[in-house]
Amino acid sequence: MSIQAIKAIDGIRFSVWSPTEIRKYSVAEITAPETYDEDGMPVQGGLMDGRLGTLEPGQKCLTCGNTAARCPGHFGHIELAEPILHIAFIDNIYKLLQSTCRSCNRLKVPQEDLNAFQNIKDKQAAYTTVSQKRIPEQIIDKAKKAKECPHCGKTQYELVFTKPTIFVEKTEIGEHRLLPITIRERFSQIIDDDLSLLSYDPVTARPEWFILQALPVPPVTVRPSIILETGIRSEDDLTHKMVDIIRVNQRLKESKEAGTPPLIVQDLVDLLQYHSTTYFDNEVSGIPQAHHRSGRPLKTLTQRLKGKEGRFRGSLSGKRVDFSSRTVISPDPNLDLSEVGVPEAVAMKLTIPEIVTEWNIERMRKLVINGPEKFPGVNYIVRPDGVKIRLDFVEDRSTIAETIEIGYLIERHLADRDIVMFNRQPSLHQMSIMAHYVRVLPGKTFRLHPSVCPPYNADFDGDEMNLHVPQSEEARAEAILLMRVQDQLISPRYGGPIIGALRDFVTGAYLLTKDDTILSVQEFSNYAMLGGYTDALPKPSTKAKDGSPAYTGKQLFSLFLPSDFNYTLTSKWSKGTGGKANDVVIKNGELISGVIDKTSIGAEEPESVLHRITKDYGNAVGKNFLNSILIMVKQFITHYGFSYGYGDLEVPEKDEQQILDDISETYDVVADLTDQYEKGTLKLTRGMKAEEALEAYIVNELGKARVKAGDTANDSLDDGNAGKIMATTGARGSALNVGQMAGALGQQSRRGNRMNEGYANRALTHYKEHDSNPDAHGFVKSNYRTGLSALEFFFHAMGGREGLVDTAVRTQQSGYMQRRLINALEHIRLEYDGTVRDPHGHIVQFLYGEDGIDVQKSDHGEAFNPSRLAASQAMIDSGAKATKDEIETLTKKYTKTFSPRLTKLVTDALNKSGLSKSGIEAVCKKGLSLYDKARVEPGQAVGIVTAQSIGEPGTQMTLRTFHFAGIKERNVTLGLPRLIELVDARKKPVTPTMDIYLEKENKGNREKAIEIARNVLQTKVSALIADTETDYSTNIKLILSENRLRERGCSVAEVEAALSSNKKFKMEVTGELITLNLVEEVDTATAIAIRNKVLNTTVKGVPDIERVTLVQKDDEWVIQTTGSNIAKVLEVKGIDKTNVRTNNVFEIAGTLGIEAARFALIDELNHTLGDQGLEVDSRYIMLVSDLMCSRGYMQQIGRHGIAGTKDSVLARAAFEITVPTIAHAALGGEIEQLRGITENVIVGSNIPIGSGTVDLYMQVSKKK
Amino acid sequence: MATKKNQILVPDHVYVPKHEIIPKSEAEEVLKKYNCKPTELPLIFVNDPAILGLGVKPGDMIKITRNSPTAGESLYYRYVVEI
Repeated sequence: MSIQAIKAIDGIRFSVWSPTEIRKYSVAEITAPETYDEDGMPVQGGLMDGRLGTLEPGQKCLTCGNTAARCPGHFGHIELAEPILHIAFIDNIYKLLQSTCRSCNRLKVPQEDLNAFQNIKDKQAAYTTVSQKRIPEQIIDKAKKAKECPHCGKTQYELVFTKPTIFVEKTEIGEHRLLPITIRERFSQIIDDDLSLLSYDPVTARPEWFILQALPVPPVTVRPSIILETGIRSEDDLTHKMVDIIRVNQRLKESKEAGTPPLIVQDLVDLLQYHSTTYFDNEVSGIPQAHHRSGRPLKTLTQRLKGKEGRFRGSLSGKRVDFSSRTVISPDPNLDLSEVGVPEAVAMKLTIPEIVTEWNIERMRKLVINGPEKFPGVNYIVRPDGVKIRLDFVEDRSTIAETIEIGYLIERHLADRDIVMFNRQPSLHQMSIMAHYVRVLPGKTFRLHPSVCPPYNADFDGDEMNLHVPQSEEARAEAILLMRVQDQLISPRYGGPIIGALRDFVTGAYLLTKDDTILSVQEFSNYAMLGGYTDALPKPSTKAKDGSPAYTGKQLFSLFLPSDFNYTLTSKWSKGTGGKANDVVIKNGELISGVIDKTSIGAEEPESVLHRITKDYGNAVGKNFLNSILIMVKQFITHYGFSYGYGDLEVPEKDEQQILDDISETYDVVADLTDQYEKGTLKLTRGMKAEEALEAYIVNELGKARVKAGDTANDSLDDGNAGKIMATTGARGSALNVGQMAGALGQQSRRGNRMNEGYANRALTHYKEHDSNPDAHGFVKSNYRTGLSALEFFFHAMGGREGLVDTAVRTQQSGYMQRRLINALEHIRLEYDGTVRDPHGHIVQFLYGEDGIDVQKSDHGEAFNPSRLAASQAMIDSGAKATKDEIETLTKKYTKTFSPRLTKLVTDALNKSGLSKSGIEAVCKKGLSLYDKARVEPGQAVGIVTAQSIGEPGTQMTLRTFHFAGIKERNVTLGLPRLIELVDARKKPVTPTMDIYLEKENKGNREKAIEIARNVLQTKVSALIADTETDYSTNIKLILSENRLRERGCSVAEVEAALSSNKKFKMEVTGELITLNLVEEVDTATAIAIRNKVLNTTVKGVPDIERVTLVQKDDEWVIQTTGSNIAKVLEVKGIDKTNVRTNNVFEIAGTLGIEAARFALIDELNHTLGDQGLEVDSRYIMLVSDLMCSRGYMQQIGRHGIAGTKDSVLARAAFEITVPTIAHAALGGEIEQLRGITENVIVGSNIPIGSGTVDLYMQVSKKK
Repeated sequence: MATKKNQILVPDHVYVPKHEIIPKSEAEEVLKKYNCKPTELPLIFVNDPAILGLGVKPGDMIKITRNSPTAGESLYYRYVVEI
């Protein structure tokens, strides 16, 4: 490798260009609006002036003398005839104008206050960090309000800002426009001390520089002109805009010199302002966009930087790469799990650089002779002197092959066993890019093993995938060490296998290992060979029908189990068929009983046989085991001939009739319920209205009908039915699917309801209005086998569409959440001292996950499993049982580094095990070594893994917002919307609820509980009245309802007391009638306003608590509420103050503190994910919560929180709000320190995370 | 952020872990152990409801003993800052 001079960027300082600087950097003043003359030569002093750099390859730059490749381009400038406001700083100009004096230009805050602020700023004490950041905001707020300057005493006038660029001052004389020139004059008088209090850096950003006098003209390389096929030159959008500016500037200059009336001059100034504004940003609200001749809006500076396709996200954070390929994928179960099939055509384009050595020179010569068109060959040869030879152009390759010497670099075709990176978008987690070994195959698609589909989330309905070829030894080494498929078997999300048997592999494994499977010696040896078995064959354990010796399927499976492997679990088959628990028994590597199905070798199944083998014997063994089993099972099921078709769904006529009879019976029940409803005799429950109750009953009945139909169909099928086998082994589908195919499809729903609307009072025009027959509301009696009627088909399509819309919306939402999570967490890494920090050293956690265990290396979240360890030791243990003391001393010795919980687990397991002393010691030793292996490694990108582990399951969550949780009356947001709400740290969740536990004395007492609930429930006047009357001018009458008062436990006196604070009326109480006599006569509108205010007055209870329900939980009454207000609920008597819960995390932060908020956040996140059946390790949830709470208040995951408060300017700019971020950085003279991830990607250096954390420090030998 | 007056403090609420002020010497040890400046620690506002009753002032260090689902019990430190 040649030695390269490497210059590292230490940092980037942002600042505002002063006019002097603009002129200093300028190589030419641009005055001519023309670009090229008639001859096509650049005009001198025009926008394409040769001094601004050069575009054509042959040309030399007039400034630096370099050719196009080496000339960086040079700035020019335009001298503006009138100063112009810079649009990016317009908000700052406004704020400064508001807060400084119009005559003395000091901040309009008394000197004492300024000194006080200065003191806070100067204070070296570390605890003022937060207060320091708020100084500018506080000063501006104060200064704005001053009517008079505290420094010079001059009166201040109101300032009106008309967006985007006009400032008007309202003086006694009248309205008076503040021209840029005046603003500039004022700003230049502001003193440095005032500026630095506002956190401006007066050295790099004087405010007068916000007003442009000279406009920099970017070099031509920034705005190259392109020549169309027609030969017409087409200029860049920026050049067009600059032409406009120069034209107006010229006209303005001329009219000023000619003495044109000021009004016309002002119009020209405004036009110049418009053009310069749109030059900087063509999406400013309030002014029309500048358009191209074709009508397309111009893409000016801001538009170039902003957004997904902008410079930051589109060209700097992500770039197009060489040595990559993309094509359709297709399955190939004959491949190894870790392989990828690459089409020959692709292999011949992608190359790998290989240096010619003594040992490979012969092989290389052969490859060179093959050349670029014959596989395996070579595309390029690089000689040691750096000359690159393209073999396409070489006539005689055998001569060139002879000239090859050691040290030459050969760019050879991709070949078998090369390592490549394979990826499918969306890349939601680390397993979306894995390293595979190449297998060059005929055909045009990438081939992969069906069992690696789950991590990629791939299928073969036309999916395409990408392939990248690492080019350096380092990259290949890293890919092999970290990214191979076998090292990704265990998902870091939950510490269980994500890769495993799927679909027919599962069915096959079941068919192979069920009790009556018999294999002849011939078959057995064939399968064993296929699985890669090389040892001696075991003894046949059974006999075939003809009496010849034969093997069982279990024996075949056992061949590939490690010989000291012991395990027992309950198969899905056993669970599904009501068999016994722990039916699968493996003893010393021998499958004794039970069938192998999804629970044993399936994908995404923790605690399976596959998981245990991978965990206990290593990833390589696990992968080989899976490989052998899969290929064998594939062959077995192929020979077996397993299929599923129409015939497998046929139900005997009598059962079919039964299904129809059952459904019509249900229809009768529904008709009966409707009758009852109409007569008003329907039994109501749970506070539901009659219509709601009817609907709930009907839905329930119809649901039962579908289940019954499904059951009838399922029962009619025999046990060997292929569909049933697939469902019970977990290969594919469920009993529900079979039921829908052979029984009845059941109720179709939209938004969780039956189809009730669409047309007036009916769902489809084919029905009569108000038809109560279930058919009219989307109940499908048919099944997929018989087919749907036209009307049923419509209903089915309605439900189907909802699913499609849901998926589309969900992918968008969860994608954005994922982006925000990644952005907030990408820079969080594990340090050498075990702490979790951001790159500026801020601690997020003192010990990762509070126990320092890496989930991917853990055993389903645990460092290791002590009881399993003890159990397997027990199988080989001998000798006297250890005493309690011995166990204690041994555990003490070995568990020093363990967390308290793990220590307890170990101690308990050992005490229960009954092992001998040496056995105990062996377990302890093994445990300790497993523990050490499971610890996180320094540099680990724990932030990114966390973000992925929470973001990825987001794509699998339901979008359905509402769900009945526990009791029917309480709606709770669940799924993705709730997850987003939580990471957003919203002030108020969409559905706030509380769980209020009661004091000991009241717990068991229902009456007491009701009384307390009444005190919690907010009771407004409106809830107590029967009617109101008003004459709309002098009085309002409230007629209270006795019933309602009783219901709510209120008295008239209480209502009176609640209203007494209102001074607008006098009260007169007569029994249940309260008359409010207004103090003064008012108009109708005011009367109504007063009445509404009165009705909204709280008489009793806690504001915001809209509904309460009593629920009995383990002999204890708990109040559940809709609406939340923890601060006020704590004041209510009789509740257990220490156990009041709310789902409003933000509220908790305010009332119980930041630590309580963290706890609640963890709780809520756990529940939200858990309710959806998604397993996410609690370490990730803790890390996100700790990060969100690490600054003492709840920070959002997003631009207003963590991503927005990052130290790095570039990282913030690359996330959202690009241009304002950069402008703000320039004001403060911020320095980009390039410590995070995004920043370093942008500048193109190594990222300081994972293997990039490590640096090599070398002591240069001292001279002796 | 807690700014309401006369709020009810519930330091023994199930959600609130144990907060305690640690003496300067111990605080110093923590800083040394983690080789960090006080501002690099997680922060807590001086008026946080969980520490209002402890008589803290800005610059103190709070030790929090949390119940942990992974480790059983774990320690966390926060640096008290002004709002």
